[in-house]
Amino acid sequence: MNPPDLDRIISRVDDLPTLPRTVLRITELVNDPKSSARDLARVITDDQVLAARLLKLVNSSFYGFPQRISTITGAIVLLGFDAIRNLLLTTSVFDLFANRRKTSLIRQEQFWDHSLGCAVGAKVIGNYLRYDKVEELFVSGLLHDIGKIVEMIFLPQVFKEINDLVKDQNILMIAAEEKILGYSHPQIGNLLAEKWNLPPKLVSVILHHHQPSEAGRFILEAAIVHLADILCRSIDIGYGGDNKMPALDKTAWDNLRIKPQVIESMLAEINKEFDDISLFISYSP
Amino acid sequence: MIRLKIDELKPGMILARSVHNQQDLLLLEKDSSLTKKRIWMLKTWGIEQVSIKGTSENEGTTVFEAELETKDTIETQLKAKFADVIDDPVMEEIMKAASRQLQKNLSDPEKENEST
Repeated sequence: MNPPDLDRIISRVDDLPTLPRTVLRITELVNDPKSSARDLARVITDDQVLAARLLKLVNSSFYGFPQRISTITGAIVLLGFDAIRNLLLTTSVFDLFANRRKTSLIRQEQFWDHSLGCAVGAKVIGNYLRYDKVEELFVSGLLHDIGKIVEMIFLPQVFKEINDLVKDQNILMIAAEEKILGYSHPQIGNLLAEKWNLPPKLVSVILHHHQPSEAGRFILEAAIVHLADILCRSIDIGYGGDNKMPALDKTAWDNLRIKPQVIESMLAEINKEFDDISLFISYSP
Repeated sequence: MIRLKIDELKPGMILARSVHNQQDLLLLEKDSSLTKKRIWMLKTWGIEQVSIKGTSENEGTTVFEAELETKDTIETQLKAKFADVIDDPVMEEIMKAASRQLQKNLSDPEKENEST
């Protein structure tokens, strides 16, 4: 059973932000085996902002294509349907929250950097493990803490109390949430992810990023984001809401089969890729 | 407190006053330290001058308050951050690797200072 406050959020679930219509339509098309690159291109070009962003992103150093890609269809053919959906989801999600004026820009910016850092981290770890869909990992990293944004918007008073407790006792944000709310941001994020009909893998990563060993068949993905979170915090990329390190989930770590000696090169790569990409999809309210 | 033009700002300097844009939206709070990225953001918002903590002295020299990172502060901050998990040998490894990476960033002037 859910704690009463969580029920209160659920009862307001209809007030939670919705995804832009274009992104929903694109999700439908991506899931439909009969749709073609041209169908997808038509929907994207209808939305000039999305189209411009997509071209900016595929031409960024992040993808490193040698030639300039000037058409949406070209971008779709090169990147694939899933990657396009993930890219657009990425650029759209934070717009929803950026329009809110309840918190100062600096807080939102630091949160965005933490999310972007985890996204880059998950991609770097995924590449190392030769995971075949690194874009999925990227989006998972980006959205893993989305429950914190819901708290910021829907429970501003409680959010402030949580932050005060974090500062007073120097504890993890998730520990402060448990003390004050009786539940925490992964559960809240899970609610939003389900409302948005995000793929089950993504929902599971959001829910289990602190205890990836409980993620069942998605243990690998959850473990990757879990480690990415820890790595980003260790080198001060953004600010996840506290100054403590979450405990490493032992089962999940063993599952990753990463040699501790490679961590240093991973950190260097995350650091560099974060710098490269942060100017391209930087936070702009 | 000193008024500085946007091009004179350096990472590590601390804001003496909050900065707002033309619509009066809060961009950066007072006491925030500047990073390369934040200076860039202020520029993109069309901010021309900000107030920085520090004092003007005679003969045109200026002394700024700044939160500069050193090898020692990196070590101290990491140890505090990892205090609860340092029994885990993997976490210890991560802490050592992070320390080396942060020190590398320190000696690279192009790398922004991400601390708050």
